[in-house]
Amino acid sequence: MASATETGETDQVREIGHEEYDPVGTAILITIYFLILVLLWVFMYFVEFLGNGPTVVGAVLTVVGLA
Amino acid sequence: MRNAYVDQFPAEAKVIKAAFWSSFLALAIGGSLGLLQALHRTDVLRIMEAPDYYTVLTAHGVLLAITFTIFFLVGIFTWGVTTSLDRGLVDLRFTWGWYAMMVVGTVLVGVSILGGVVDAIPMNADVLFTFYAPLQPHPAFYVGLVLFVVGTWLAGADWFRTWLAWRSDNPDERIPLPTFMALTTTLFWYLCTLGVALSILLLLLPWSLGIVDSVNPLLTRTLFWYFGHAVVYFWLMPAYMLWYVMLPKLSGGKLFSDPLARVVFVLFLLLSTPTGIHHQYLDPGIAEGYKFIAMTNTMFLLLPSLLTAFTVVASMEHGARQRGGTGYLGWLKALPWRDPVFTGMALAGLMFAAAGFSGMINAGMNINYLVHNTWWIVGHFHLTVGTAVALTFMAAAYWFIPQVTGKELWNRSLGLVQVLVWFVGMTFMSNAMHRSGLFGVPRRTAEPQYENFAFEPAAGSMGEINAQVALGATLLTVSLALFLLNMVMTSLGGSSDEIPDNTYAETLSGPEDAPVVLDNLKLWTAIATVLVIFAYTLPLASIIDAGGLFGPGIDGFQLAIEAGPAFVLESVREVIA
Repeated sequence: MASATETGETDQVREIGHEEYDPVGTAILITIYFLILVLLWVFMYFVEFLGNGPTVVGAVLTVVGLA
Repeated sequence: MRNAYVDQFPAEAKVIKAAFWSSFLALAIGGSLGLLQALHRTDVLRIMEAPDYYTVLTAHGVLLAITFTIFFLVGIFTWGVTTSLDRGLVDLRFTWGWYAMMVVGTVLVGVSILGGVVDAIPMNADVLFTFYAPLQPHPAFYVGLVLFVVGTWLAGADWFRTWLAWRSDNPDERIPLPTFMALTTTLFWYLCTLGVALSILLLLLPWSLGIVDSVNPLLTRTLFWYFGHAVVYFWLMPAYMLWYVMLPKLSGGKLFSDPLARVVFVLFLLLSTPTGIHHQYLDPGIAEGYKFIAMTNTMFLLLPSLLTAFTVVASMEHGARQRGGTGYLGWLKALPWRDPVFTGMALAGLMFAAAGFSGMINAGMNINYLVHNTWWIVGHFHLTVGTAVALTFMAAAYWFIPQVTGKELWNRSLGLVQVLVWFVGMTFMSNAMHRSGLFGVPRRTAEPQYENFAFEPAAGSMGEINAQVALGATLLTVSLALFLLNMVMTSLGGSSDEIPDNTYAETLSGPEDAPVVLDNLKLWTAIATVLVIFAYTLPLASIIDAGGLFGPGIDGFQLAIEAGPAFVLESVREVIA
């Protein structure tokens, strides 16, 4: 006998098959996550480059041996 | 008629129960030490000497990152293999053998670390989780680690031989998904632990025994990280497995796609190991080009994690809609949020999404320079192993302990409170750690206060950040105590007929939709080996070429044996000079 831990099967009100299921809510959540990532990346640019100055080792000039 | 795991596999249930309790014991000790550290660092309560901080930090790291996680996951994988193949392990004596080996290894490591604070034990191992040379532990520490790892190898062999026995009876069937997950994870575990085993057996152990005079610290570090990044996936894959095979069922639905799940685990087999150098972006002696290759491989690893985010959330949405949920996001309300097993795993997954961002920062070569060796990193891995893995395991225990004992969970509501408190506590602690890393607060430092210098946060203050860390750590410890209480009380309870059947999620798109080549474990292992050879041959050759196999006369350095902080400071200066 299933206990309350098996909430899933006892509370099911309809069966949705593979063909009729459209995970649109998942698409929305993943899009929101993606936007958060983009915003944080933009924010990171300000934290790294404007907050502390560049931390890149060497500039283009040193890489090509001019300075 | 009850049909729990203990009814189907009573002998295996005993091994799994033993592994779980070994794991909980490590969690109890390691977790409590975490509170001691957080209060010491933030200067809220300092009841130990600063040098002891490093003993405590070593114990915290090893007991939680190695002992807690791996004991739990051998239990999970044993459950997954036996349940999905519907057959017991081949030889239980062998199974108890590897479990005993892991226990002996843990005891050796634990006692050698404990020697750092207990004078009666003539050992010390204040080398932190990474045991970088020239920090040198007692040889027992290395021997213990090797025994533990060999124990896990034998555990892997146990799952493989059980699968092979099944295959000879079922030659034309696809590998069931949980077994597939356990086997692919075991394969990259073999690949990556080979590096650290060679490092310990050929270089570090002879050095600590005085057989050779010196080691090449860059070589042993690189071999450590050859294993050290893959080990995080060794912890994470069982959590992924639970998200794939348990969460959809708990949500009331089916796994969205079995083929996608297989692709994800194959990608982890391929990419877990040739990425370790991304932990060494700041190591001199490794050329930038090799670091760039490691970065590229690391960025590719985002793919299986993002695939997982999609598949797992889509499976949860399927369950929510079958339970009557509607709307673009309204279905979220139809999920079983009162179930601690579901809620704990779902919150762990949410935290892992946040950790995905800080992981991308860590993986980026030049942004890594900003956060390297700061508290940001500590904040990051408390989201990954400390929540995505640990909270998933604790939530899973609410389902598994009844399965392997036949006893009903003592208090479900308390379980729900426990997972919520963990989530809130970690939000405080990890957020503050991340922020403090951005303005340079170092990690692995007992007392980060310096004369004539003050950290300058862009927003907030050090006091506020320290308060968040202390509060977060306290909440986490409370949560840990509630978890252990629930486990102990459950075990003390009587047998119950109300235990749910031992099942895992069905699939919307099953293995019949997955290309057969996905089950070709030999092929994927071969490709993974080739990728490792590509990523590591040249860096290792160049490290050995520059510093020699045994390095330039590096003496061991033992923190706790030497007397007094003044001496320690002097010795640190010598090492730096």
